[in-house]
Amino acid sequence: MILRRLGGAVAVLLIVVALNFFLFRVMPGDPLSGMMDPKLSAEAKEKIRGMWGLDKPLSEQFFIYVGQMATFNFGMSMTTQRPVWDELKGRVPNTVALLLPALLLSAMLGIYLGVKAAVARGSLTEKLVIWSGAVSFSVPSFFVQIVLLMCFAYTVPIFPLRGSSSIPPPTGFAAILDYLWHLSLPLISLVALSFGGWALYIRNMMVKTLGEDYILMAVARGLPRARVVWNHAFRSILPPVLTMLLLSLPGVVSGAVLTETVFSLNGAGSLLLEAVNSHNYPVAQAAFYIMALLTVLCNLLADLLCALVDPRVRLGGEQA
Amino acid sequence: MPQLKFNRFAVLLVLIASILFSSFFSSLAYAFDISDFNGPKMTDLYYVVMRDADAQTMAITSGKLDVLGDIFRAVDVERLEKSGLVDLSMAANFHGFFLTFNTRKFPFDQKVLRQAASQVMDRTNWTRDLFSGYAEAAYGFIPEISPYYDADSKALPYDVEAARKLLSDAGWTWSAAGRLTAPDGKETPHVKILCPPSSVAATSTEIALLAADGLSKLGMSAEAQPMDFQTMLARVDERDFDACTNAWTMSRDPDLLYAFYHSSWRDIKGAYNLSGIADEELDKALLSLRNAPSEAEAREAALLSQRLLSDLVPVVPIYSRYSVAAIRKDWDGVYANDRVTSDNLYTLLSMTPKGAAAGETRPIYWNLPEEVRTLNPLVSGTAYDWTVLGSIYDSLISVNPETFEDMPWLAESWSIETGVNGSILTFTLRAQLKWQDGFPLTVDDVKYSLEFLKDNQVPRYFDSVSDMERVETDARGRTVKVYMSNTSYWHLHNIGGMIILPKHILEKVPDWRSWQPTNAPHKAADGSDMTELIGTGPFIFKESRVGEYVRMTRNPFYMLFSSGE
Repeated sequence: MILRRLGGAVAVLLIVVALNFFLFRVMPGDPLSGMMDPKLSAEAKEKIRGMWGLDKPLSEQFFIYVGQMATFNFGMSMTTQRPVWDELKGRVPNTVALLLPALLLSAMLGIYLGVKAAVARGSLTEKLVIWSGAVSFSVPSFFVQIVLLMCFAYTVPIFPLRGSSSIPPPTGFAAILDYLWHLSLPLISLVALSFGGWALYIRNMMVKTLGEDYILMAVARGLPRARVVWNHAFRSILPPVLTMLLLSLPGVVSGAVLTETVFSLNGAGSLLLEAVNSHNYPVAQAAFYIMALLTVLCNLLADLLCALVDPRVRLGGEQA
Repeated sequence: MPQLKFNRFAVLLVLIASILFSSFFSSLAYAFDISDFNGPKMTDLYYVVMRDADAQTMAITSGKLDVLGDIFRAVDVERLEKSGLVDLSMAANFHGFFLTFNTRKFPFDQKVLRQAASQVMDRTNWTRDLFSGYAEAAYGFIPEISPYYDADSKALPYDVEAARKLLSDAGWTWSAAGRLTAPDGKETPHVKILCPPSSVAATSTEIALLAADGLSKLGMSAEAQPMDFQTMLARVDERDFDACTNAWTMSRDPDLLYAFYHSSWRDIKGAYNLSGIADEELDKALLSLRNAPSEAEAREAALLSQRLLSDLVPVVPIYSRYSVAAIRKDWDGVYANDRVTSDNLYTLLSMTPKGAAAGETRPIYWNLPEEVRTLNPLVSGTAYDWTVLGSIYDSLISVNPETFEDMPWLAESWSIETGVNGSILTFTLRAQLKWQDGFPLTVDDVKYSLEFLKDNQVPRYFDSVSDMERVETDARGRTVKVYMSNTSYWHLHNIGGMIILPKHILEKVPDWRSWQPTNAPHKAADGSDMTELIGTGPFIFKESRVGEYVRMTRNPFYMLFSSGE
């Protein structure tokens, strides 16, 4: 059964790889227009096309591309002429260092508040969670981040205005502290903007679950309240929560363009946007391929974990 | 509310007037003389990457930045002015925004219609309303600050009645429904003006809408068609459009008119003759402009070309944006005038902290609105790359920031001889020039540099060197002769304005395309560690933290630096 899932994942990945190649080719615009003066001779233009392998037939380009994806040899960036791996290595760690804690913290906070709100139905706690969750979920991120920057990096300058390090950067352990200090405000802003969605989602699922007969039975049996809430009710909603969490993981690599812009962070989001806008095929293809790969892997992992946490779920799809 | 709007606009006008006034008087009080500049005076320079306009404004007012250029939002200018912490400078620049007609097909293949359409574009009021005074309406085909601008070749002013009369006199009529009809009875079709979406360029979309409204005053059916920018460029490259909006950053030289309007570029995909204008007399004038053997003949051809363009109207000039820059008030030695904002090389050379003792230095924090993509000078193409590279590399001649005329730089003098078989450019280098690593700069460097760019057909420079036949150096070692295969006064600017690279570095580079000079270690003449990013400019590259900053230090061998100051 695991093999069947793996086969399905590989098929999805192959389709994405093919789309990744052809969609960029049918997009309007020429990837070389930025680097090729129209006044160049036809011979010089052809030479430049040849440098990037764009003079070859499309089928040949496709097989070269598939080989590159399979071996993780992504070639050179068209705009910087540096290896694509170097471009990604310079950006992805910053993005992961910010977005992974942001995802985990916002999920944890959202789950905790969502459960609390569901348990205390009709109370002030529930109203506060719903209200704050709705605000967090709906306000524009750009606006919130600029306001936070203005309040806590400008008016009361307790956080830095920009970047991921001071200028000049400190050395040794102080450099780590400095890095964490620089990521603090973006992290706070992302958690503030993301916990709401989690809180509202968890609350809604928990409200439904807490009304189920088996929960009422557990309460009637005199089990401690916390055990009923967390061990029985919450556990039963764990599979969709895990799936949601794992499927959010690829987004940790793709970055957050607006956050990177407001806080002047050097992340993968702006690289990807720039690569798509400038038809930088090698970078855009590599980035989308990695995201697709992560999505497929996280999906597989979610299936496995769901089977682990919920005995009713079997990988074969049978219900106990 | 209208009163409030007026007051706000009046405040803006006063603000703009005061900035222009101070820029003008600072230029009068401080006439440009290169010998005044003995620098750099500061030892450390950081180009700090900061993208968001709000964050940039906060950073300069809180002292995290010293210099901020390219301020484009009126609200930021007001905020900075109100803070009282920065000096603002504003200057006209080489930006131009145009409405381009596709003259390859009906109805814009009709000259009289284009002339009439130009008269229904109310650019003076549009510019005032859309840019709150931070741009000026444009009526010419090259920037007004270019020494070759022809003030007499201006497009006709806004006058709907005159435009309709022009058409009427030419035999155009209007159908019962009011639709404009050509003299041969052909009704004008519905036309679309391609433009970027408002989320990308709000003012471009707005101008396209206003232009469509203007055309409707002639009895045409027109609409703005906002679309993804890449899609729009592809359509324009394929010549699949009626009209479109487009912006250019031009230069002081008018020879770009050849690329924009000569018929030889009409049907080449991706070439700059977007309008597809093809006119024999214009072609002749543009060819004379391109191949003018002397400055006087170049000027004459430039004026004639502009006169012909104002008659042919392949495009309608709409506006030109002002540049605005800010420097914190705690710096002295700022250079600016009404043509150059304060974020320039001369400020970089002479800025010193106010009240500092002689020789006292502190780092300069200069904003970089986007990170550098690459510091390989052979392939880098963005303005941000060149902000950094511009403080590392020099060219043979430079441009006087007040007159925009040629000015000695690495070459102390030059001449151009033209004959039937081509041109000879002769440059005499300054004495005792040195590279940043301490090795002498010789004529061999200039020769090798130019030949390298031609032999390798380096795209960025190829157009400038493609007509170069050979380079000769004299035995005395300070004169370089560049032989060009044809005559053109612009060869002087093309070759003279080219960066000069060190032979001892360039000849070691295995592949110029993938060369990463900042990662390649290099030993200086005194044995110290450097990188291969070596030029003759005022600052030496030290370190680049991608997305964070680029750190530079003063070049002790810089030609305008004297350690005894």
